[in-house]
Amino acid sequence: MLKVAVFWGCCIQSNQYAYEMSLRETFPHLGVELVDLNEAICCGDPVKSVNDFAADFLAIRVLALADQTGLENLLVPCNRCHFTISEARETMRNPKIAGKIEELLREEGLEYNPGIRVWHTIDMLHDLVGLEKLKKALKRPLKDVKVASHVGCQIIRYSDLGRVDDAENPQKLDDLIRALGAETVEYAEKLDCCGAALTRSHPDSALSLAGSKLKAVQALKVGGMVVSCPDCQLMFDAKQKNAGTTVGAKLSVPVVYYTQLLGLALGIDQDKLGLNLNQSPVDQLLSKISA
Amino acid sequence: MGVTDLMSMAKPNLESRNKILSRLRGKELVNCFQCLKCTSGCTALKLLELKPHEIVKLVNLGFVDELPSSDIIWTCVTCLKCVQRCPQKASPYHLIIALRNQAVEKEAKVPETYMKIVSSILETGLAETPQKIVTRKMETVDRECLKLPKVRPPKESFQACFMKAMEGKKC
Amino acid sequence: MTKIGVYVCHCGLNIAGVVDVENVVEYAKTLPDVVIARHYAYMCSEPGQRMIQEDIKAEKLDRVVIATCSPRMHEETFRGAIAETGLNAYLMEIVNLREHVAWAHTHEPEKATEKAKALVRMGVARAKFLEPLEKRSVAVEKSVLVVGGGIAGIQTSLDVANAGFKVYLVEKTPSIGGRMAQLDKTFPTLDCSACILTPRMVDVAKHCNITLLTNAEVMDVKGFVGNYEVSILKKPRYVDSKKCVGCELCTETCPVKIPDRFNESLTEKRAICIYSAHSVPKIAIINPEYCLRLKLKKNVCGKCQAVCEAGAVDFEQKPEIIQVKVGGIVLAVGSEVFDASSIAELSYGRSKNVISNIEFERICDAAGPTGGKIISPKDGKTPKTIVFIQCVGSRDKRFNEYCCRVGCMVTLKQAILANEKIHEPVSIYVCYSDMRAFGKGYDEFYTRAREMDIDFIAGIPSEIHSAADGSLYFDVYDKSTNKLLEIRPDLVVLGTGLVPNNDMAKISALFHASRSADGFFLEAHPKLRPLESAMGGVFLAGACQGPKDIPDTVAQASGAAAKVIDLLSSGQIELEPLKAVVDKEACSGCRICEAVCPFVAIQLKLEVVKGQEKLAAEVIEAMCQGCGLCGSACPTGAIKIEQYNNKQVLTQVKAALAEACAEGGK
Repeated sequence: MLKVAVFWGCCIQSNQYAYEMSLRETFPHLGVELVDLNEAICCGDPVKSVNDFAADFLAIRVLALADQTGLENLLVPCNRCHFTISEARETMRNPKIAGKIEELLREEGLEYNPGIRVWHTIDMLHDLVGLEKLKKALKRPLKDVKVASHVGCQIIRYSDLGRVDDAENPQKLDDLIRALGAETVEYAEKLDCCGAALTRSHPDSALSLAGSKLKAVQALKVGGMVVSCPDCQLMFDAKQKNAGTTVGAKLSVPVVYYTQLLGLALGIDQDKLGLNLNQSPVDQLLSKISA
Repeated sequence: MGVTDLMSMAKPNLESRNKILSRLRGKELVNCFQCLKCTSGCTALKLLELKPHEIVKLVNLGFVDELPSSDIIWTCVTCLKCVQRCPQKASPYHLIIALRNQAVEKEAKVPETYMKIVSSILETGLAETPQKIVTRKMETVDRECLKLPKVRPPKESFQACFMKAMEGKKC
Repeated sequence: MTKIGVYVCHCGLNIAGVVDVENVVEYAKTLPDVVIARHYAYMCSEPGQRMIQEDIKAEKLDRVVIATCSPRMHEETFRGAIAETGLNAYLMEIVNLREHVAWAHTHEPEKATEKAKALVRMGVARAKFLEPLEKRSVAVEKSVLVVGGGIAGIQTSLDVANAGFKVYLVEKTPSIGGRMAQLDKTFPTLDCSACILTPRMVDVAKHCNITLLTNAEVMDVKGFVGNYEVSILKKPRYVDSKKCVGCELCTETCPVKIPDRFNESLTEKRAICIYSAHSVPKIAIINPEYCLRLKLKKNVCGKCQAVCEAGAVDFEQKPEIIQVKVGGIVLAVGSEVFDASSIAELSYGRSKNVISNIEFERICDAAGPTGGKIISPKDGKTPKTIVFIQCVGSRDKRFNEYCCRVGCMVTLKQAILANEKIHEPVSIYVCYSDMRAFGKGYDEFYTRAREMDIDFIAGIPSEIHSAADGSLYFDVYDKSTNKLLEIRPDLVVLGTGLVPNNDMAKISALFHASRSADGFFLEAHPKLRPLESAMGGVFLAGACQGPKDIPDTVAQASGAAAKVIDLLSSGQIELEPLKAVVDKEACSGCRICEAVCPFVAIQLKLEVVKGQEKLAAEVIEAMCQGCGLCGSACPTGAIKIEQYNNKQVLTQVKAALAEACAEGGK
């Protein structure tokens, strides 16, 4: 078993339980044991707009906590946490800032280890576990299922930082979906943003963005949409009804986490994957899969 | 300086501008030649009228004083398309974050939600604490009934260090 | 008794603004063997030179030290002035007080003055031991190699050939004409490109002084300026050029389709074909990677051979190596068009209706794949909305930082042509950042475009989308009207920029022609020597030195021709005597010098030295650059560099280490 540390962030641990459940259930089947950090703590993303130094501090503190596990790899399943931590690591190249942050860490007996490899769900499965291993572990490959992938924004942009997938033609999530036996579809709105960043300060605009994308996906007449970020899931799944109202459309798009789909293909029970928690009409999709 | 904006009677404030430039990752903001790719592709343009190119130009010319107190800087969706596509690596996104930081420092208009989150982090370590949620069948569940492990609070030392970090600045 | 004159130049304020020149002169007067020391505002000027000449005569000076700007500026000038007095030009030493003192230590004038004095002291010490030397002349080949048969190569070849020199024009593709042959019209006159180009192409083919080698590449270059030995590989056409009449019957019978390179792969040609619409020479060529017979190496097909009435098809044709001797080389290898598929968000390569400007040009050309009809490639229909997008791959730190120089004018031309050729109502938009119409008649051309109902949008889109049905759409913000516009075009033409030729690395290594940061050839000086590479005898013409339009290309090509004619016209070139010299007696034949020489300028030869046959090193003077590597590497001290022998150098070192206050005097 490969042991990897896992940093959940705020969103997953406070309300996006389905992501946490499906990750905890599926990864051991692929030979990965998840090891929690000592603390549940924020990565600093929402603090960026207030004080970006404090935000960098929080992100590096997460890496320091990961260092305490003694493990080489850290899984960060949330897109925003992954971006925040990646940027903070770049900032640490500035010796002045690094000095200040390391001083604060020392006060808590923590140390920054730049050697830790930071992964997202998508590249950990695609590149570390690998598609072949994934395929071999499947008990119930999906058949006759076509879905639209939504990889999100902050794990593909900006390329110079070194991201999880290509910014203009990301295919890793599609590869992972296809590895389960399902089909994916290319569509013009594939790279459009879910709007989550505005959900508290400009809720209507956020819902409008989510609604527009859902409308476009609905028009594709596919089985559903697959995401891998808790913020995206919040917008497309939990807020689907409100998004529909905002854009004046009746939306009925099943939205699932990739790990939930993976769990089904691995033969894991639906409830263990948190599929009862999805607010969107996932039963439409589930019935196709079980058939 | 012999320049005045006749609409607002504002004058360029180069000191403020240089302060903002020093907060950015690099100095490329000054290389912007107004190709408009950022605005053409801006996710927040249609709904909220965010024009990244305009903000960049205002800062480059030194008309920075009005920006931290404006509403527009809080409309950015952080999709990062402008950073990805800018041919001069000027990154309007990073500029907007720097302007937001300035707004907080100047105690200008800051959406409530951000300060609430900071308080939450200070108290609990998380931006939001574990909630009860509802299943599709309208049952209420929480972490415990879903058999998820308890959320571990941060060390006692965290609060003080986070406070210190909040008082600190990049430069 | 040595008599040294020291001359300290102010160089305006360049030197005098930092260094106390009078102080330096007073100091110089105290140095051994110095009989006269002066300072002057501009030593290189006529009165300055005359001052030195008069002193040489009056004081009977036999050594001169000039403390001035870098020798790279005026060494030749001063050498000339001194030679006029009858004194040997190499008995002069230049001390650099500008680049090495005033400009390097601008903010420390006192220390700079002390350094100036020390350098003068060193120069004076060395001057005593300078030896008289003479330039040598070497005969040159009065012939020129021109690499690349586009308009630059064609123009250079004609100019050089008309001046009476022999020209070898080597072109990689089967026909000369290059990019200009691919154009429909040229800006700003809207001349038909082929009409103005083909007469020159024919002139080249018929010129008695030009040997035209098409479908050929340079394989190897040996030798030195004035005496190059070049190996050229003539690849087989599998068609006898003496028999082929260009009737194209063979093409009609060939069953194999190949991508049509000249038409930017918008159509297909046959494995045997004439390369392009106005090919010179008009001889068929078989592509061995596609031809069934040549690829499979079996006795199959052969339809072309059967139908050819002239019996010109020859499957057995072999490649030829041609060796030529030339005195000068002109590189005119042109440029490549940026491949927009690297900008994935623009959908080039994904949607057929997004094309590059060179593809549009081929579509516009009556001799092109659509017979000159402007169509949307996806459905072949006439477009109703055409959008041109500028700066694709240019002015972009992610791809090429430079401006491609021609993009704006090409788009204006193509927009005007589209407007003129399409008779149905059509909307034409140009999305731009800046409109660069800098040349003669160019802004007038821009005015013409604006008069023609072509709309200019001041903004560039971020991405181009394909809807489910394949139709294109995108948003663009116009900063003039502050409007976000959604455009649904039937045809998008990307203003793709120019990038260096694909073979630049190979060509650069072959000819030792350096490249600048942008990948194009590096000129010897960006302002004052734009036509020469740093390598002696190798000149640059056209887009390979930097993207440019036809007028600039032709001007540069004629300029390069003039340069190479200048180099070779006297039939001789003078060689600097500051080179390595081997004492053959002392040479032990160890070959270390041969191994270290970066210019392949020293070789071991079997010789008879003092009655004994031995392996001894010999310097090829024309190649030797006097760098000194061999001299310092030689274990027996058999090699000395003229004017840089041990005594000369060590005297300078000792003077450098001496105290600032000198003793002695006249």
